[in-house]
Amino acid sequence: MTAFLALLRRDLSVAGRNAGPLLLATLTQPVLVVLVFGNILPRLHLVADEFRTVMVPGLMSITMLMAGVQGVLMPLSTDLSGSREVDERLLAPISVLGVAFEKVVAGAIHAGTAGMLALPAMMLLMHRVTGVDVHPRYELLLPLVVLCGLLSAAFGLTLGTQVQPRFSGLLFAVVLGPLMLFGCAYYPWTGLSVLGLFQYVFLLNPLVFMSEAMRMAVTPDVPHMPLPLMLGGLLGFTALFTMLGARSFEKRTIL
Amino acid sequence: MTVSPVLCVENLVKTYAGSRKAPPVEAVRGLSFSVEAGEFFGLLGPNGAGKSTTLGCITTLVRLTGGRILVDGVDVGKRPIEARRRIAVVPQVRNLDRDLSVREVLTYHGRYFGLPAEEREARADRLLREMQVADKADAKPLTLSGGMQQRVMIARALIHDPKVLLLDEPTTGLDPQARRQLWDTLRELHARGLTVILTTHYMEEADRLCQRLAIVDHGRILNLDTPASLKKSLPGGHILDLWARSEAPLLPRLSKLPGVLRTETLADASGADVERLRLFVDARDGLLDRVLHEVREGGGEVRHISLTQPSLEDVYIHLTGRELRE
Repeated sequence: MTAFLALLRRDLSVAGRNAGPLLLATLTQPVLVVLVFGNILPRLHLVADEFRTVMVPGLMSITMLMAGVQGVLMPLSTDLSGSREVDERLLAPISVLGVAFEKVVAGAIHAGTAGMLALPAMMLLMHRVTGVDVHPRYELLLPLVVLCGLLSAAFGLTLGTQVQPRFSGLLFAVVLGPLMLFGCAYYPWTGLSVLGLFQYVFLLNPLVFMSEAMRMAVTPDVPHMPLPLMLGGLLGFTALFTMLGARSFEKRTIL
Repeated sequence: MTVSPVLCVENLVKTYAGSRKAPPVEAVRGLSFSVEAGEFFGLLGPNGAGKSTTLGCITTLVRLTGGRILVDGVDVGKRPIEARRRIAVVPQVRNLDRDLSVREVLTYHGRYFGLPAEEREARADRLLREMQVADKADAKPLTLSGGMQQRVMIARALIHDPKVLLLDEPTTGLDPQARRQLWDTLRELHARGLTVILTTHYMEEADRLCQRLAIVDHGRILNLDTPASLKKSLPGGHILDLWARSEAPLLPRLSKLPGVLRTETLADASGADVERLRLFVDARDGLLDRVLHEVREGGGEVRHISLTQPSLEDVYIHLTGRELRE
């Protein structure tokens, strides 16, 4: 446990020193989307007022997914690079799975912080816009942010250990892009009932559960996925990606 | 007083699994040796001999395919976390944490091993001084020269007070000054009682530093002894190099002489005027005379002759052959 906490402390203090660029990387997207879709387009009467309410939790979940994935993926690519900086940490008195899980926890803290910063940033941008119906229920928000953070970081660990760094550009275009578009960030999952059974295909996308979780916690008045399904999805995907990621981390590091 | 081995490697086997494109690689094929506490031990061998894999297995970063390794009585395969507390590694590739300062590299490493704050700060101070990098304490590791990074890696390795220090080709890529400085450092650490194990393919390094040496090739130990005994292990214990021009081939006649135990042709003599031969001889009285006589008998002429004690390199080449690796 000592080694686990020391590793976590190291990762958080390094992240803290790079706070500026990290913030910029995680907050640029939601802030700009809010500016365009939450402020400019509604004034031009090009989007419905409800859209602004719907997209706030969606953008939080996207922010967390990106922060979690990047928070694990970027350091991991240095760790597993030619110089193998990870070896030093693997020589610490902690199991290899412990090192992998530490990465998930550090990434989750990164993701959660990004999500919790994105919310007030978006609210600030829309504070003079009418028709936005955001009432965070913090007692729900905090535990759900933790879960979403863990899921994002575990996903990052899986991607980071299975995809070679030179393909990471492709990863963002081919994997994360579609996940975001079909992640129920800009529309509620319950509304997809118009698609018939296709609604359930969306459940293959982990971001759907994150978006719905944020929807429930931040905009309680918008219809959202039933709680058991949502929790099942969040926990299930977190467990799956943690297992897959940890296993391939071990494969990549211990020859 | 009997000293107990601090490291026991028993029938170590490591086969890297193949893939669709590459066949499996048998890197280590049944390697055994043990190192006494306080010993300076070396693994000497060409590239791809299995040295680094062996070191990887000892340091828990490579999974064993077969055999057993005990570090201070702890089975590395079964209790890797316990084993890691007893060993320290200076890897071949410089892998200092680039996001931390030199000082933090040491203190964080101390944290990983659960050292209390005061102790890790004190040890970091002491090691930075001893490794002569105290003035770089606040610098980022990547701004340091190769030799300095190497010394920081040694300092990092020592912070948790290990029983065995393992170094994988520590002087590769260092200039002669930095190399000598590193040798002094290692000698001093050894003099203080630390067990040091290093891999190298530099003969001079192995000869000067190591008390015992294992010459490794193709995943096996070819010979294991003190450098002095290894040198004596060559047939005859002496080397006679002879360059001569001759009408008739010299080798068949010279190899029949009493005292000549083994012969080698040094360079491809075909088409060349001069034959270059190496004879492994026991240097008995009159041998040189008989060799010279033999050359003249055949109508030949000696261009160069020398009788020397074998160097470690001679032993190494004798055991591992001359063909180029990689």
